[in-house]
Amino acid sequence: MTTMNRRTLLGGVGGALALTAVPVSVNAQAATFRIGALNPVTGAGSPYGSGMQKMILAAVEEVNAAGGAGGRRIEVFAEDSQTSPQAAVLAAKKLIEVNNVRAIVGTWSSGVSLAVVPLTNDANILLLNTSGAPALSVPPANAKGLSYRFQATNDRFGRAFAEIATREGFKRAATMAFNNASGIGNTNGFKRAWEAKGNRVVAEVVYEPNQPSYRAELQRVLAARPDVIVMGSFLPDTTIILREWFQSGENTRWIIPGWAANPQLIQALGAQVTEGIISVDSVSNERAPSFAHFDQVHRRAMNQPGASNVYAAMTWDMVITLALAMEAAGPNADMAAINAKMREVANPPGEEVYTFAAGKAALAAGRAINYQGASSVLDFDQFGDVTPDFGVFFITKGQLERRYVVSI
Amino acid sequence: MEAYLAAIAAIALIYVLLSLGLTLHYGLTGLINFGHVGFFCIGAYAAAILSTTGGMPIVVGFVAAAVLAGLAAWPIGLVSLRLRDDYFAIVTLGFSETVRLVVTSERWLTNGVQGIPGIPRLFEGLGVGMPSALAILGVLLAVNAAAVWLFFRLVKSPFGRMIEAIRDNEEAVRALGKDPARFKIRVLMLGAALAGIAGAFYAHYIGYIVPDQFIPLVTFYVWMAIIMGGVGRISGAIVGSLLLMLFLEGSRFLRDVVPFISAVDMASVRIGAVGLALVLFTLYRPQGLMGDYTRR
Repeated sequence: MTTMNRRTLLGGVGGALALTAVPVSVNAQAATFRIGALNPVTGAGSPYGSGMQKMILAAVEEVNAAGGAGGRRIEVFAEDSQTSPQAAVLAAKKLIEVNNVRAIVGTWSSGVSLAVVPLTNDANILLLNTSGAPALSVPPANAKGLSYRFQATNDRFGRAFAEIATREGFKRAATMAFNNASGIGNTNGFKRAWEAKGNRVVAEVVYEPNQPSYRAELQRVLAARPDVIVMGSFLPDTTIILREWFQSGENTRWIIPGWAANPQLIQALGAQVTEGIISVDSVSNERAPSFAHFDQVHRRAMNQPGASNVYAAMTWDMVITLALAMEAAGPNADMAAINAKMREVANPPGEEVYTFAAGKAALAAGRAINYQGASSVLDFDQFGDVTPDFGVFFITKGQLERRYVVSI
Repeated sequence: MEAYLAAIAAIALIYVLLSLGLTLHYGLTGLINFGHVGFFCIGAYAAAILSTTGGMPIVVGFVAAAVLAGLAAWPIGLVSLRLRDDYFAIVTLGFSETVRLVVTSERWLTNGVQGIPGIPRLFEGLGVGMPSALAILGVLLAVNAAAVWLFFRLVKSPFGRMIEAIRDNEEAVRALGKDPARFKIRVLMLGAALAGIAGAFYAHYIGYIVPDQFIPLVTFYVWMAIIMGGVGRISGAIVGSLLLMLFLEGSRFLRDVVPFISAVDMASVRIGAVGLALVLFTLYRPQGLMGDYTRR
């Protein structure tokens, strides 16, 4: 039935090979600085990935429009991590070896970041990530101090939960965690901080994803009569658990991370079920002019408010911070010199700046700067981690209402 | 560029090992194994655990990976080889998911969903860059060559004729007074051990493993590879795996030749292009690139 013989097919394959060998000019011109955008455009991270990548492109455009950083234009090579470590490793190899990038920006899941970080370390280039796993802070992952995390660790989320539970006067806390690194990271962080305050966790449950019902798990937790249940969960499972809890008629309160307790949850369950739920999220630096500016760009590129994708705010900040560090390091600085400036431009002391152009002007005038990001105030600790503030939202009559902000 | 090609080659050779195992199962013996990733996972975790918390030499991890993956196949064989083909497929699929759930849940051993970071890489002593990459490729090539040689010997042996007879007509084999189940168990264990070795290479190559990496998609990548290459042919397993890698990685360079598509949309276009290539391939060359040995 086929007219294609082995020879033509081999020819076709050879042709495809030849296409892949199209020379991608490897010798970077002195005037450009190449970065790789490695984002989860497909796979589990796809709700965030394209926004993250578009914001990288938009931020680079802005830096270049302001005359570049350290006398160089930034050039972006975009790749898809497919939210898979294996695909990400190959994509990172391509970015490093073929495109000669000097930084990889915007890896999302911890699995991807942990698989890519040995490669960026070997190449002595930066990895700017938005992952939650604690292992990323310390050697071997961050042995060279070349990795920066723009997202709060899951552990910090847990500590914020404990602060809130104390402030709300809860005594008998229980936890429920989705069985993955993020879910368990949240509840373990909570447990440590909560017990350090002299409290006790009355019940702990870890549940498997993709179940049609969580009644058995819920019964185990409710049997301990908790006054609050702290969740490390995601939207689909939270929806089922809250519905089954409401049917049970038991009386308890909930503290849930913001990516699960969001407007979609209220829409799915209605105002009655969700009344009084406490939703916690790392606040984008919403009152800062940098956020207003980011929001405007995000609306233009994605047709959605900037607050809808907290990771896009982080990738935006990554480019601006990197560009400011390049500017501070001066023309033709190597990666070590640029890395040495990362904390200097992002942390206090220094004049607070909100855009690349303002930072560049201040640096030109010889002043120290402290970039205030759109995602957080962006002050890196010794591990390259940030500690954002956490917004505490109460769901009242079907609306998320921010009552206060917790700093840890 | 060289290091990128070396990375593609390494991953491709790992897939060749997996495909060889599946060719032995399906192509030669007719066992529909939908749980190949389970053996791969056991091998990866065995090697990772022994070389990190176990503090054993890497070689021990490789041996353990092969032995444990092979042993894991034994009970499945006992329980399910008396089942009909399609039931066997379901059992193996269930097996691989069970393995994934076990490594997810047994936190004391596997560190659960946090995964095992910092698995030592092969030939670290040679320093980073090309020398160690080439050494890894050399070892992978040698292991693949050994596996292929073993296969040719196997196919030509009485054992090989027997398993092919089982594939073609199990009733006839039984009528001759042979017990197909015994042969099937051995084939299953041998293919599983190969997948275990592939898993050990994978763990030491990527350097970090989590249960999420061992999803059924890996099994189906391997199926795609042997179907594209030609079922039942050793050359098919090799060519198919290389072709799969060419589709997956070559499509990254689409951006350089396709105009009018933004960088962000390219990611989705790329996955679409891979899918289209696979569909066209099965439409126009259903017997695989190297031909289907079983239908000759």
